[in-house]
Amino acid sequence: MTVAPAAVAGNAGTAGRILLVTGAGGGLTGGGDHLLRALVVTACAAAIAAAGLRWLRVAQREHYLPGSAWRFALRWWGSTVPVNLAGATVAVAGMVLATWWPAAALATAVVVGAGPLGLSVRGRTSPLAWTRRLRTLAAISAALAVAAVAGATVAGEGPLVAAQVALLAPLVVDVACVLSGPLERRLAGAHVARAAARLARVAPRVVAITGSYGKTSTKGYVAHLVGGAMSVVASPASFNNRAGLARAVNEHLADGTDVFVAEMGTYGPGEIAQLCSWIHPDVAVITAIGPVHLERFGSEDRIVAAKSEILTAAPCAVLVVDDPRLAALADRSPGTTRVWRVSGRDPGADVAVIEHGDGLAVAVRGEQIASAVAVEARPGNVAAAVAVALELGVAPDEVARRLPTLPTAPHRLDRSVGGGGVVVLDDTYNANPAGARAALATLERLGRDAGRRVVVTPGMVELGRLQADANAAFARAAGAVATHLVVVGWTNRRDLLRGAGTAADTPGPARTVTVRTRQQATAWVRDHLGQGDVVLYENDLPDHYP
Amino acid sequence: MNASTARVAVAFGGPSPEHDVSVLTGLQAAHELSRARRDVTALYWSKTAEWFRVDPSLEAADFVEGVPRRAEGLRLVTGGDGAGFVPAAGRMGRARPLAVDAVVNCCHGGPGEDGTLQAALDLAGVAYTGPGVASAALGMDKLSFAGVVHDAGLPALARVLLGPDGAGVDFPGPYIVKPRFGGSSIGIDVVEDLATAVARLGANRQLRRGAVLEPFRPELFDLNIAVRAWPRPELSAVERPLRSASGAEILGYADKYVGGEGMASAPRELPADLPTDVVSSLRDMARRVIDVALVRGVARIDFLSDGRDLFVNEVNTVPGSLARYLWVEPAVPFLDLLDAMVDEALNVPASAHSAAGADGTVLRSAGGIAGKLA
Repeated sequence: MTVAPAAVAGNAGTAGRILLVTGAGGGLTGGGDHLLRALVVTACAAAIAAAGLRWLRVAQREHYLPGSAWRFALRWWGSTVPVNLAGATVAVAGMVLATWWPAAALATAVVVGAGPLGLSVRGRTSPLAWTRRLRTLAAISAALAVAAVAGATVAGEGPLVAAQVALLAPLVVDVACVLSGPLERRLAGAHVARAAARLARVAPRVVAITGSYGKTSTKGYVAHLVGGAMSVVASPASFNNRAGLARAVNEHLADGTDVFVAEMGTYGPGEIAQLCSWIHPDVAVITAIGPVHLERFGSEDRIVAAKSEILTAAPCAVLVVDDPRLAALADRSPGTTRVWRVSGRDPGADVAVIEHGDGLAVAVRGEQIASAVAVEARPGNVAAAVAVALELGVAPDEVARRLPTLPTAPHRLDRSVGGGGVVVLDDTYNANPAGARAALATLERLGRDAGRRVVVTPGMVELGRLQADANAAFARAAGAVATHLVVVGWTNRRDLLRGAGTAADTPGPARTVTVRTRQQATAWVRDHLGQGDVVLYENDLPDHYP
Repeated sequence: MNASTARVAVAFGGPSPEHDVSVLTGLQAAHELSRARRDVTALYWSKTAEWFRVDPSLEAADFVEGVPRRAEGLRLVTGGDGAGFVPAAGRMGRARPLAVDAVVNCCHGGPGEDGTLQAALDLAGVAYTGPGVASAALGMDKLSFAGVVHDAGLPALARVLLGPDGAGVDFPGPYIVKPRFGGSSIGIDVVEDLATAVARLGANRQLRRGAVLEPFRPELFDLNIAVRAWPRPELSAVERPLRSASGAEILGYADKYVGGEGMASAPRELPADLPTDVVSSLRDMARRVIDVALVRGVARIDFLSDGRDLFVNEVNTVPGSLARYLWVEPAVPFLDLLDAMVDEALNVPASAHSAAGADGTVLRSAGGIAGKLA
């Protein structure tokens, strides 16, 4: 007996019938077909499990924002990495062919199981952490996948649907993120309520700091300048969202704390307003506006709007007016808000920190309180911290006394001498164009007499539409300063090489080197550089980026 | 029951500036007891004063961000049958306190070393190592301790209360300004004159609860010795801690604790290279301090010396790393040190609350309070 192909799939679940599978090169017994189908579904299930873990890790790194797994999947499987694009083509072809020939889904299973090359399941820089939230997400994802595959198997479409689910594994994780949203908000709500009660009981004065960059440094400066006169608790750097700040309050805000310094990050409009609804800042600080997380915001104006949410709740604002948008914000602020205009350039600002040859000079409303402060710190951030300390009632001479020992944060253009006498400039924590330009200037200054000046970078991310041009511009500037440009990874390779290429008309253009990972880059530095050379590590991407 | 069969809980952390050092001490003790296959529980006291049961094999890095993962919330309940460390997740009335025979107190500074925790454990009926309430409170109050030492006829530098008017200071500068309460060297300033010392009162938050003033004598150096009262009064070798090369005027907090595994890895000369008569007079004084300061567990007594004269400076009733690194002569292994502390906790109660004498006589003769007030 022979049946039409369409009927094959439909009757596959019925045992004991002899079927002819077209395209398989001959007839198979019903038992053999079952075995094959079971094998294909099992292989796809294994692939779904492996892929699921990968994309769960990406979702975790991307703050569980729905859509992030799919966005990264396109990045990994898409055109950035040629071998993965080829793999993706095979996987899709396998899935399409599985409509007629179930065994083709094995190709999909193998490719998806092996994953995009370079994206490991466990991760090195950012390993998968089995938190309660991730376990919930994994359970929901698994339930979705099992339901789809099991349902399809009963309906006789097991291999095809299993291959489809394998291909769409990142989407499954994204859907799970959406579904778990209400639950997570409820659970986080309990922690936030506890934190709000604790804040009310301990009743510290609250300094909230936001900004596209410089907030972690500024927070450290505030804690240092105020810490002698008052007991200060600063939120840890990685704790800058709702759940993190709730944890910082619940676990770090000891009784008797006078000042709580909260670093507030934002990934979208409304987030800082929400934070301020229970943190209630007494002093709000905006350090800088830049195109960080532009991918999620859409425009820089929306970033300004999101950051300025911090001002509406606070009776006092400290604004670094070197950015014209923050100067405009200072002009616009309501009369009820006391505004400190601080600057790293303008001597007329309320607090002016001006860089001279011998260090920083600090003036408050025209009156100098410190000079020749020899610290490597961005003047604008220091000015903001000084304003906060004065606002909190720290005496100017106490501020001046503590200024020379300001803590320079780790990874903020840290200078050290590595193996073989290479001078290493570590700016791996920076991820914005302004910081990258400043780092290049330092490289130029320190490397004037160096044999080789090398920039190692994977480029910058999360800059939205600006990302391609920002990386090209950075590579062009780097090409004019450096002798070698080492491009790490695939994420921005094309743009960085394009930018470096246009620097070819500058004197002594940089030679370019491409490597896949940070490890390979450091190995290259070890092998090629020695005494008298300078290397700048600019930005570092976690390993969920290609 | 003895130390090798007792169910021991190591307590560490706490709402104290020395929270982090205490985590190191606590983990050292917990790891040592685990290595010896003792029945050990780790009790982490958070900076916000919450209690958690954590895995005794955790490392310092697990506490960097706050409460480590998989920590189980506890409540310290005082009074009655259900008293002790009770799991917070259990339903009210159902949860039984953890089975703990003795707590090894590794909490430095703040309420873990000033009598507060000791009082709570006394009320909860939990045995513990280290100082009792009175000893802890005395050791934490630099002014009271100096007075007690002085009255016992032991040599000490002048130490006076520093008030906002600077009155009562009858010795010339330079001075050391110290917080009256608090452990370690946190908040200590060296100043040239009295006016600057008084000005520090406003600028240094550590001095808010009171400050004491001492003469600053740059030629003096620190000498430390560990002591214990159980199983018999015993003294360790004498240590001379070394300051970092940065030319600091006094032995600072960073010298002692930053960049190693707590006190155990700080730079030192051990045993200190001193004339034998100086060593023996230091040991005599230390033996006296055991009684004067009500030493229980292991304490570290800090002296100042110019190489000839000795001054009793302060007592640390819960010293960093439990002063285990000082026991080289005689050599006392860390486990033996811990075992002796646990045995002492089991055999010598830190407190003896008594209601004897309150037999109702007073109440019976009192009549109606309301009637008297009417």
